[in-house]
Amino acid sequence: MAIRVSLAHRMQRHRPTRYLVSQGWTFALPGLLIILAITIFPVLYSIFVSFNHVAITSSGFKLSWVGVRNYRTIFSNSLYQYSLVFTVIYTVVTVLVELILGMGVALVLNALSRGRGFMLALLLLPWSLVTVISAEMWSYIYNGVYGVLNAILMGVGLLNHPVTWLGTPILAIISMMVADIWKTTPFVAIILLAGLQMIAGDLYEAADIDGASAGYKFWRITVPLLRPTIALSVLFRVLQAFGLFDLPFVLTGGGPGHATESLALLGYQVMFQDLNMGRGAAIAASTTLIVLLASLVVLRVFRAQVEEGAS
Amino acid sequence: MNAKTVRRFWIGFWVIIVALLTIAPLYWMIATSFKNYFDLGAFPPNLFPNPVTLVNYQHAFRLYHFQIYIENSMIVSVTTTLLVLFFGSLAGYALGRLPIRGRKVIMVALLMISVFPEIAVISPLYMIMRTLGWLNSYQALIVPYTAFNLPFAIWILRNYFLSIPYEMEEAARIDGASGWRIIFQVILPQSTPGLFTAGVFTFTAAWTEFLMALTFNSIPQFRTIPVGIALFGAQFVIPYGTIFAASTIAVLPIAFGVIIFRRAVVSGLTQGAVKG
Repeated sequence: MAIRVSLAHRMQRHRPTRYLVSQGWTFALPGLLIILAITIFPVLYSIFVSFNHVAITSSGFKLSWVGVRNYRTIFSNSLYQYSLVFTVIYTVVTVLVELILGMGVALVLNALSRGRGFMLALLLLPWSLVTVISAEMWSYIYNGVYGVLNAILMGVGLLNHPVTWLGTPILAIISMMVADIWKTTPFVAIILLAGLQMIAGDLYEAADIDGASAGYKFWRITVPLLRPTIALSVLFRVLQAFGLFDLPFVLTGGGPGHATESLALLGYQVMFQDLNMGRGAAIAASTTLIVLLASLVVLRVFRAQVEEGAS
Repeated sequence: MNAKTVRRFWIGFWVIIVALLTIAPLYWMIATSFKNYFDLGAFPPNLFPNPVTLVNYQHAFRLYHFQIYIENSMIVSVTTTLLVLFFGSLAGYALGRLPIRGRKVIMVALLMISVFPEIAVISPLYMIMRTLGWLNSYQALIVPYTAFNLPFAIWILRNYFLSIPYEMEEAARIDGASGWRIIFQVILPQSTPGLFTAGVFTFTAAWTEFLMALTFNSIPQFRTIPVGIALFGAQFVIPYGTIFAASTIAVLPIAFGVIIFRRAVVSGLTQGAVKG
């Protein structure tokens, strides 16, 4: 970009570039090394561990190479297969619903002439809420004996008798999705609202002059111009939803049975309850691989937008 | 009624619905924290706590020693935030202003790391922590939280630094100011909004993180707020009153912070669109 002439060019007149290069690395390296040591290295080490059997001894860990045995075990395990399918479906459904609801909320707030700041502050509350607290809150709301949801639904005549919302698999899954959607739709709405506010108003005025319908304006002006915003929010939501852990840990404990057991929860249980680090690492590594592939696909599809931000 | 009035009516209607749906569960949590033992299990439940009692708050502190969890969360979150802002400013300045090769690759890599699932690193980190004897300590959380929040902070800060004009920095360089002085006396004083955004995000992430805190710091003395609250319910009866009293206290600092720094948070969300 023309305005962002790099400092290197501008400084060449005064000092040798080499000085600035070495200074650049001096400043960048501490942070980058921390990231490398605590995120990249463990991911690679985790992949190595997933090919080992890990014996926990009093002094530490003893690794013995077992090849792909851990992967063979998990892939043929019906619990893992269920978790994988559950996590994928959960991710797709919640992100889709959040996108639709988030778009609705963003459109309403965009049309608002007063009180938008107040609404934004309100929407930030669920986003900033500790997930564990949100889960406790919803478990009290869903309670089958004294939960307020039953009281409301019975009060308006939609239910005749109390329902144990977290008691049957399908209801527990839906209940958990609702709790998740409540917490994360505001996040999507805020991002989409920012995108909406960047669309120039005269595009709509021109469409009005041509007599375009509201639906036409939405699908032909709003959605195409919002595409990069939608893509980025979907990418981050998908990656986050795929790591689902806190909510089922507190709300359902993965139950009833294993109905709401996400991949992360299964991995945690295999690692820290069955104390099988190797197999747990295999679950974690396979999850990471899926997440990585998903983000590569999105990065590829929306390449221009992301690189524009990085340049 | 003309079309404009109808439109305004519907917008107002939907705004109220959204506001109610957002606030109702939170209201229910806070109202419940003031209810007494019998009121907690009443069905149908009472909309307002009657009589209002503080007994749940007393239990949270006297019986469950919630102040320890608050102290732990504070120590971990504040230290993490300071470290992230320090290293993030240095790296953000270098990646934004100085001629480093492969900047683009580094920035895209950072973006991807910042959304990595925690489960991917939890087992190796646990093994490292256990070998180092770091389990149940503050550094067991501060170090990984710093590493996990740095990528996003670097993004935010770098983007902010890019918006600062070069003239002052250039003048300082010509006067022979060192890189450190330029960062701390020229760049950072002009970057408070960017620092607030990165700071609020890091603090919120450290305050809410659960998986690592649960895995690395399991003994009560080192539990953070999310772990403390999640493990309140480990008995047969879930003490909802106490849980919600503790939760209300835990939510307040973040809620106030987020509302006060609303602009910073929204600009952070829309810049990187990371985390939720």
